[in-house]
Amino acid sequence: MDSLFTLTPPAAWGAPLLVTALMLPVAALMLAFVLGGRHAERVVLATLPIGLGVAVAIAAAVLHQGATLHYDLGGWAPPLGVSLHADGLSATLLLTTAVVLCAVGLYARADFRVPSGAREARAPLAFWTLLLAVWAGLNAVFLGQDLFNLYVALELLTFAAVPLVCLRGSPQTIAAALRYLLFALLGSVLYLLGGALFYGAYGTLDIALLSARLASGDPIAPAALAAAALMTAGLLAKTALFPLHLWLPPAHAGAPAAGSAVLSALVVKASFFLILRLWFDVMPDPLTHLAAQVLATLGAAAILFGGILALRQARLKMLIAYSTLAQIGYLFLVFPLVASPAAAPALDLVQAPGAWTGGVLQLVSHAFAKAAMFMAAGLIAGALGHDQVRGLGGLGRVLPMTVFAFALAGLSLMGLPPSGGFAAKWLLLSAAIETGQWWWTLVMLAGGLLTGGYLFRVLAPALSTRGPPLTLVKPVERSRELVVLGLALCSVVLGLVPLSSFGLVQIGRLGATGIGLP
Amino acid sequence: MTQSGLLVAALGTPVLTLLACLWRPVRERMLGLLVLAPLPALVVAVMALLGTGETAPMILDPGRLQIGLALDRPGTLLLGVAALLWSAAGAYASTYLRGKPNGGRFAVFWLLTLTGSLGVFVAADLLSFYLTFALVSLAAWGLVAHDGTVRARRAGVVYLLLAVLGEVFLLLAFVLLAVASPGDSLAIGAVVAALPGSPWCGLTLGLLIAGFGLKAGLVPLHVWLPIAHPAAPMPASAVLSGVIVKAGIIGLIRFLPWDAGLVDWGQALTAIGLCTAFYAVLIGITQANPKTVLAYSTASQMGLVAAVFGLGLAAGDGTAVTAGTFYAAHHLLAKGALFLAVGVVAATDARRLWPVLVPAGLLALGFGGLPLTGGFLAKLAVKPVLGYGLVGWLGTLSAIGSTLLMSHFLHRVAANPAPEPGAAAAPGLVWPWWVMCLAALGLPWVLAPLGGLGPWSHALGWATLWGGLWPVLIGGLLALGLRRWGAHLPKVPEGDLLVLLRNAGRVAAAVGDAIEHADGWLRRWPVAGVLLLVLALVLWGAMLASTR
Repeated sequence: MDSLFTLTPPAAWGAPLLVTALMLPVAALMLAFVLGGRHAERVVLATLPIGLGVAVAIAAAVLHQGATLHYDLGGWAPPLGVSLHADGLSATLLLTTAVVLCAVGLYARADFRVPSGAREARAPLAFWTLLLAVWAGLNAVFLGQDLFNLYVALELLTFAAVPLVCLRGSPQTIAAALRYLLFALLGSVLYLLGGALFYGAYGTLDIALLSARLASGDPIAPAALAAAALMTAGLLAKTALFPLHLWLPPAHAGAPAAGSAVLSALVVKASFFLILRLWFDVMPDPLTHLAAQVLATLGAAAILFGGILALRQARLKMLIAYSTLAQIGYLFLVFPLVASPAAAPALDLVQAPGAWTGGVLQLVSHAFAKAAMFMAAGLIAGALGHDQVRGLGGLGRVLPMTVFAFALAGLSLMGLPPSGGFAAKWLLLSAAIETGQWWWTLVMLAGGLLTGGYLFRVLAPALSTRGPPLTLVKPVERSRELVVLGLALCSVVLGLVPLSSFGLVQIGRLGATGIGLP
Repeated sequence: MTQSGLLVAALGTPVLTLLACLWRPVRERMLGLLVLAPLPALVVAVMALLGTGETAPMILDPGRLQIGLALDRPGTLLLGVAALLWSAAGAYASTYLRGKPNGGRFAVFWLLTLTGSLGVFVAADLLSFYLTFALVSLAAWGLVAHDGTVRARRAGVVYLLLAVLGEVFLLLAFVLLAVASPGDSLAIGAVVAALPGSPWCGLTLGLLIAGFGLKAGLVPLHVWLPIAHPAAPMPASAVLSGVIVKAGIIGLIRFLPWDAGLVDWGQALTAIGLCTAFYAVLIGITQANPKTVLAYSTASQMGLVAAVFGLGLAAGDGTAVTAGTFYAAHHLLAKGALFLAVGVVAATDARRLWPVLVPAGLLALGFGGLPLTGGFLAKLAVKPVLGYGLVGWLGTLSAIGSTLLMSHFLHRVAANPAPEPGAAAAPGLVWPWWVMCLAALGLPWVLAPLGGLGPWSHALGWATLWGGLWPVLIGGLLALGLRRWGAHLPKVPEGDLLVLLRNAGRVAAAVGDAIEHADGWLRRWPVAGVLLLVLALVLWGAMLASTR
């Protein structure tokens, strides 16, 4: 009798959630294709809130159990079957993705409406189905547990993201999309090569099995090291870490605003997420110490380089694209801070290890802030008919809410309190000092100065009142401004959430179980 | 209402007013309400000063990070006088800016700055302090650059650059403080107590002094003061010089470890302070704009406060804090009043100036220690800390310098009356000036016990009075000399040391060009492709090296 009153086993309610998260976008994609026309938009707008609900449920389940959710598809365990896996980081990213995509969906309705009279139009159908495909790819990346499945997910993501760049069909955007496609494929080749080497050396591509075999105590095959290096390089190409950023500025600046928001906020984070999985879940810890310094050095260069170039861009969207380049750099500072030998004792602390939480917080707050910024830039470009930074004088008088949202997002990018960016920077700075790597603090602070500089270039003329009043080419819907403002507020509110709530992102990490976090 | 509830109301009122500004009709009318927003803070401060017991702090998460608000003696004193100046200057602003464009925007920046400015006096933990400090620093940009002229915009850029630089110093210092402190608590008292034992004690102190010194106007980071003050509208200059500069002072008060007896750092701070005190006088007497002269005077006065703090730090003596706070509180009132007076004079006909100039003169010479003024009491309060040795002598010399500088100010301000015959300042400008003037002359006598001063009879002894008077007399004689021969002094541009950076723009452009060029090269296909492979090899090599 007692067994009737015990709680349902956690795995039982985690599993359907994971499958739903994976299948919902795929099913919606099929449906949108089949129904076509005006229905594609309706399918997306109906599915996104459900997806958000599922993401919230997964995060709640992970937080509640304090452990990773697992599900073996069809009951077949790896290496035969495919398993899904959601730790705290996956859950956080699923949630971030769902929130950003909901906002993008609401925002994009005005840009991708099927004109009245027509039954179907090319750009809207392409956009809505691509949005679902990106979503499916992202969720598959965040839930995957097998390096080959992850490769498939990543390819799906790339092939969905590239056409987003050239929806407008102008020669420049097509060139930018081709650039993106070719370089991303180069990255894929390296990734695949690495996967083949791993498989040759250890006979499995499942992350858990591979990690167990690598840590078994035998000397690691040089081929495995080469595999890790090749995979990392391939993923770096897709993340556009300096100096592999040749495709990012034209692609992110050329896409329509809703597309730019998805690309900058989410798509580059997927390949970064895989580097995290590879380095912290697959490879044994000491191997990565020196290489982590290499990655962080590139990250530091990206922060400075991207910041200075953002200061010099004439177009607002290019400025934001270069800002993405710089902000991606911050993510790579996480590697030496988490992988440092000195970080180990910090595991006992309440916020342990701060660098990990800080890095994830940077990722999430940048996703919200950058999506808000690109969408604000889209509203500005639509209303003014151009997006020249020089021509923004007096913008605050005609589009006060958009400028306010842009400024709030900027607050977070710059790392000013109270914002998610501030909390992230605080944690990363603390971790750098705790682990004795003070030189990274200098880079982070200089990056903050540069960020302040390029935001000032936009906001100071926007707030000024000199010169003739701006005339709007087209009015801006209040509802779209509210969506942008909502996302910008998300990035700020992250900083007000007590740090202990970010125990979520520690779940499934080295020894930290999340249980016992206040 | 409980005291902690009042504390919340003190900060909550400006925040709520700010939220109301989101609605355009309210925003357009907000200028008229600026006088009211700081009043709850004034009430809190007065109640705390009248009450005998300690004000209970309000901590949001007891036992953990200790985020919250608290009110101590220096904080209460500065909060009270700051709220008074904010209120008077707010009333002044509603008249001063009436009929001019963009009043709504001015009100928004005013309220933002006000919130931060009151917040720094009551913030009890690192994060709240950093938040409010950043707010007062950055939002004041909107006040400095309000006029939108080329000069105001340049002043805004210089101001913001230095403010952000200060934020960077402080962020690093605060992170170092938090990391060096044992427990989770971020309460300022707890982290500062752990500072002397920190492995980065020297670095942290250096960053703190640089960050707060920048805000307080210590040489060589004082350059924003003489650029920003003349560019800002009159009431904004009053709060900039009166209150915003004090954010740096309260920072030094809160974050320096007073009990540790750090002799080297104390002496360094004293030296910086005294250099500032004299340097600012020397540059100030070459200036023609009365607001610029006042700005240099502010730097000079804050230099003296820093010197007092340095002596206290070296001696491990907390009375320096009491004296320095009292000195800063008097400066806040008197400097705020003088800025308001500049605006009143500028709206008054030359023949009707005396009712303004005489009280303004008393206030101005008060900075030199003219007996019976508030400044006289302020000088008396810091005298025991300065001592009677070399530093004490230098303190007297700085009083002479201040008299000289302020005489020069009176001369310059009298030279700028309203051009129209028979012009008279609007009542809305005059009464806030009178309120501040009377407060600056009278309040120090009421608050004297908080400055560590004994009964009035002590201050009114003949010897003491003469001790205050003779530096003023000498300063007056020097001022006569300045009027006679001042034309021969070299003309120093506003923001003196900034001239050294006049080529910075060109250098930055060259660096930017080079980096843009490099970007073009890196983004070529062959280069990026080769770099991708090289990177893979480097990562492989790094991992191979780790296995050895």
